[in-house]
Order: sequence, then structure tokens, then C-alpha cells
Amino acid sequence: MMKRKTKRIIGDTIVSAIAVAIGLVIIFPLIYAFFGAFKTPSEFLTPKLLPSSFTFLDNFKDALAKGNLLRYTLNSLIIAFFGTVVRMMISIFAAYCFTYYDFKGKNFCFFLILGTMMIPGDVLLVTNYLTVSKLHLLNTYLGVMVVSFISASQMFMLRQRFKSVPKDMREASQIDGYGDIWFIWRVLLPICKPVLTTLFVQSFINLWNAYLWPLIVTASSPNMRTIRVGITKLNSWEDENYQLVLAGVCISLIPSLILFIIMRRNMRKGGMEGSLVG
Amino acid sequence: MKRTLIALLASLMVLSSVFAGGAAEQTAATQDVALGSQAVEITFWHSASDEAGVLMDKYIKTFNETNPYQIKVNAIYQGQYSDATTLMKTIISAENYKELPDIMQLDATGKVDYFNSGKAWTVDDAIKEMNDDIIADYMGAAIGNWQFQGVQLGLPFASSTTITFYNKTLLEQAGWDRIPDTFEDLIQLRKDMDKAGITAATYGSVPSTPTLANWLGQLGSYVVNNSNGADATATKLECIDNGALETFLTEWKAMYDAGAVVNQSLSTNHFINEEVVVLTTSSSNVTPLLEKVNGKFEIAAGPFIRVNSSASYGATVSGSCLVMFDSGDSLKKKATWEFIKYLTGEEVQTDFAIATGYIPSYKASVESEAYKALLEENPQHAVGPDQLDKTPSSMRSVTVGPSADFYYAIMNGVSDMLKNNLSPKAATASMAENLQALLDQYARNNM
Repeated sequence: MMKRKTKRIIGDTIVSAIAVAIGLVIIFPLIYAFFGAFKTPSEFLTPKLLPSSFTFLDNFKDALAKGNLLRYTLNSLIIAFFGTVVRMMISIFAAYCFTYYDFKGKNFCFFLILGTMMIPGDVLLVTNYLTVSKLHLLNTYLGVMVVSFISASQMFMLRQRFKSVPKDMREASQIDGYGDIWFIWRVLLPICKPVLTTLFVQSFINLWNAYLWPLIVTASSPNMRTIRVGITKLNSWEDENYQLVLAGVCISLIPSLILFIIMRRNMRKGGMEGSLVG
Repeated sequence: MKRTLIALLASLMVLSSVFAGGAAEQTAATQDVALGSQAVEITFWHSASDEAGVLMDKYIKTFNETNPYQIKVNAIYQGQYSDATTLMKTIISAENYKELPDIMQLDATGKVDYFNSGKAWTVDDAIKEMNDDIIADYMGAAIGNWQFQGVQLGLPFASSTTITFYNKTLLEQAGWDRIPDTFEDLIQLRKDMDKAGITAATYGSVPSTPTLANWLGQLGSYVVNNSNGADATATKLECIDNGALETFLTEWKAMYDAGAVVNQSLSTNHFINEEVVVLTTSSSNVTPLLEKVNGKFEIAAGPFIRVNSSASYGATVSGSCLVMFDSGDSLKKKATWEFIKYLTGEEVQTDFAIATGYIPSYKASVESEAYKALLEENPQHAVGPDQLDKTPSSMRSVTVGPSADFYYAIMNGVSDMLKNNLSPKAATASMAENLQALLDQYARNNM
């Protein structure tokens, strides 16, 4: 009879192998993009996965030049970073109010905000454009970011997380003479760091990938375009240059990847804590 | 009393200054300033990306440096055609007209929205205002494609038509010394390829609005009424009662059942990679195809493949045109007119055709020595212009309001017939219902 330990080792190996296989399937598009970015145009047409050499950098050079990717990366960074910071701040304060304050119509307001999640973004395009135009924010970074400042899903996630923090802690800090801002900054946010990190990365990637709205708002300011717009400049339907597009995609992945690497430890904790949220 | 009087006088002064300001603005807008007497800036939105984008930048730089009228063009890339059209629609819906450009590159999907924008300064308007009739300088089929309800909306910039490319080397291996001409030929080719042990696909396509318009046009039918929506807004399907759609679907299914077509749009990359022998695509692909194949195999080009031997030859024009918006500023409008004539004129059209494979829309470009030399060197380039010449003028591309939904509904309809093994009759009924519903919905919302 097989020993329990051996059984466990076999079981772990099988589970690990399955996990690795699933992981490979998920990561394969990225691997393909990375290898494809180093291929010459003629190589790209062959079914081979690997490029003949990793020294062929023309695609990256062309992508940077044709797509104006350096400038657009900077724009995307500004929009994604500041947009995320403001979004997080608003979400934190809103979630705090919905968690710790009691006021008339609290639940109604909360569900009203949640209800906005049901409205497809395309429907809001003209209305948002009109609002931003009336605020004289067209062709500004603020105009690009302003519609992302409110995130119902983030408010919901944070509210659920804040609810799991004992209210006694707030009362204790009030007894000690501290106000709400102190409690949020010194107690609540450190406790909720993993969730905040996860939401930050999620929001950053979301804003980083925005395409149509930045394109529309910056219609008269080509220098304010985002990296996604730059990538569309690399391909045309007359001539499919996917190797150039893949080089552009690889460049566009760098900031998100760096952010993920920096924050992954906290995100992992956030993922594990997610099961306790709510 | 004195205070009231002062307040009244002050109010009058404010009011008069407001109206005076308005009047001055109006005078500036309508004043007839001669072109060249002062510097003028115009905005141009385009969708030229990759190599076409590099060429576009070159043309604009040349124009800005060489035009004698102190015109400066600010060119802005606005994403793909569909993105640029969405942008235009958003601005128009928000009535934020000052954000509109003076001139814009548009494909067929934006025609109706431009026409209905209320800010269109059509070519007909411009010809009247500038007293400069240039219509006769353009190829008939190319310029006719940009008419809607009898109005010349824009001037053709990048004109192409759908033609058929063949891997001549594999055709010869299958024993073919001529290019296939009809769906029936493709079925025979499949059999011959099987005999010769050639495993590549014969042909792969999922028909969409433009290709269906071509094939039904060959059968003498429009897809929708009002000459495929060219004469007036399309309100109903015109290929059902005359049996054209069912005939096409019958021939298509026969091809699929014989293994001669795969239910997938095979791209130029599949063709270059020798995974498919026959490819129908834009004539603008000639240059990239020749470059990428680079002698690996021989490429033959022929007219757009026909549904059957009784169908006529031809395919509609596709590509993009340049349209203008009414800025209300006469100087800007004059500058815009000069610029549109430059981009659609001989110099640019010849250079663009040679560099990309698009068909020149300007007659003098077709006759130019440089273009003739290109045709001599690469006869594949001549197929597009020849086909356009032979295409009946009645064959028109489809202009419908719900262009994107219509496009996918056609693709899904034909694809589902093959996937679910539906009879052509059942598929026709299903497509008729879906497509008519889209037209009805658009009419309900917009008419």
C-alpha cells in the first residue's frame, strides 16, 4: 500500500503540472508577442514560434518612431497614474462614508452608485463628451481622466473590505482624540493595503488600456494621445505588419509589468484576503 | 434717478458691445479674403497608418512647404476609419462643431453620418462656391463611389477594388495553366489539387457587405434598395424577391460542400505562407504581396472571382475619400479646397499609387509615365484599374445606416449556414429577417 506521503507527493505533482499547463495557456499570448516582436517580416510568416535571433531590434525601433510611442507612453503614464490616484482617493472616502456614517438614504445612494455599473460605457460617450466640453476640458489630461475618477466597482470592493474592519477600532481612535482622516490614513489603509494594491494595479491597467475616450477627448491635440492610439498607427489593413504591432505591445507592457512586479506580494495577499471580504 | 440712468446706460453699453462683437465676428467669418493675402491654418483628420501614414506625413510636409498661399495644414491621425467616424459622430451629436476638422479622410461606413451631419461642405457645394468644376478630372468609377443621394460628398483619395490573387506555382502543380474564373472553377481546382497532393486550402472567405455587394452585383442585383443606398436611404432588401441571395448562397454552399472554400477569412499572411491558393483582397495589396512573397512563388492576379459563368465581371470601388466641413470661414474654405485638390491631384495620386498599390483616382495620374512604367514592370497592378474600367456603373457599394451591424449580420448569416448545414433557402430567410430588422430599426430611430 502506497504511503500517505508518496500519495501526497504524487497528488501535488499532478496539481502542479495542471497549474503550470493552465498558466502556460494563459501566458502564451504574451510569450508569442515577445517572440514575434523579434521576428523579421519574412520570419513572421513562418509557423515557427522562436525567432532566429533576439538581436533583430528593427521592429522596436520602427514602432517607437512610427507610433511616436515614447511620447505616448509618457501620456499614458500621466493619465494612468494620476487617474488611478484620484480614483482611489475618491473611492476610499466614498467607501468610508458608506461604511462608517449613517445618514438618510444611505442604502439608496449606494445602490444608485452600484446601478451605474450596469450602464454600458458606449452609451455615455456623447453625454460625457458634452460634459467635458462644457467644462472646457477637451484636449487636456484632466479631460481624459475625469470620467474615470468615479468607480462604482472600486467603491463597492472597498466598502466590503472596510466593513470587515471592527468598528471598535474607529471608536478607539476617536476616544484617543483622532479624527476620521487620521484613522483612515494611520489605521484603515494599512490594514487594507493588499486590497488597495490590487485595486490600484487593476485601475492603472484599466486606464492604461483606454483607447476610444482618450482618442475622442484629444481630437485636436495629437501630442496628448495614449499608447494604444500609437499602436494602431503601426498597422494598416493594406499591409499587415503584426511584428511591428507586437513590438509596440511589448513596449506598452513594460510599465504594467514593472508595477505588477513591485506590487505582486501585496496583491497576492489581497487575493487571499479576498475570500474573507464581505 | 441719476443712479437708474447710469445703470441703464451701462447696460446699454454692455449690450451694444456684445452685439458689436458678434457683428464683427460675423463680418470676419463671411468676409471674402483672398487666398494668399494672409496665413491660414486648416485641420486635417486622417486614418493613414503604417507606410501610408509615413507617405501622408510626406505629402503634408511638401504641401506646407511649397504651397504659395501661406496655407498650413495641421494633420492629425484619428485612429482607424471606424474610430474617426465615431469621433465625428460624437462631436456632431454634442453639437460641438468647432472641434470638427476642415477636411477628413472617410471610408464608406462614414458616408451617411457625414451627409446627415448638417455641417457637410460637399464637393458640389465647393464647386459652386469656388466656381471650379474639377469632377471630369477624376476616374468615373472612383468619384462615383462617393456620391450619395445624387450629391458628390467627397473626392477619392485611396481607391481600390477587390481582385483575386493566385499562387500560380501551385496552380501549375495542380495542372492549371489558366486562372480560375468562377466558383465552379474553384470546385474543379480543389479536385485537381487533391489529385496532385496539394494540401493547402483552395480559398477561404466569409462574405461581408462589400464582397456580397460585388457578388450580387455580378448577378444583376443590389443588396438593398435605392441602388444599394446610393440614391436614397436604404429601407429594404432587394436581393430576396429576385432570388439573387439564394442563388449566391446555393453556389457558396456547393463550394463549401466540395471543400473548395473554408468558412474562415484567410488573410494575405496565409496566402504568403502558401496555406491558401486563391485570395480575394483589395487591389491595394499588390505592392505588399509582391514584396513579402519576394519571388518565393509566382503570383498571378485576375478579376474578382465570379459566382457562375452567367454572372458579369466586376467589383465595386472601395477605399477612402476626403470630405470637407463647413467652417463658416471663407479663407479656410478656400485653403481646404486647395488642399483637397492637392491630395487628390496628379502628383500625390501617382506617388501614392506607386508606393502602395492603390489605383490612382486622377485621370492624369493613370496616364503618367511613372504609373505606366509600374504597370509594365508589374502587370498585377493593371488588374485593378482594368476591372474598374469594366465594372458596370450600376454596380454600387452598399451604403446603409447600421453599417457595422449589417456587416457582421451578413458574415454571421453566411457562416451559420455552413456551420449548421442549413439549406440556402432557410439561410436566405434567416438573413432576410435579420438584415431587414436592422434597416427597420435604423429607420425607426433616424427617419
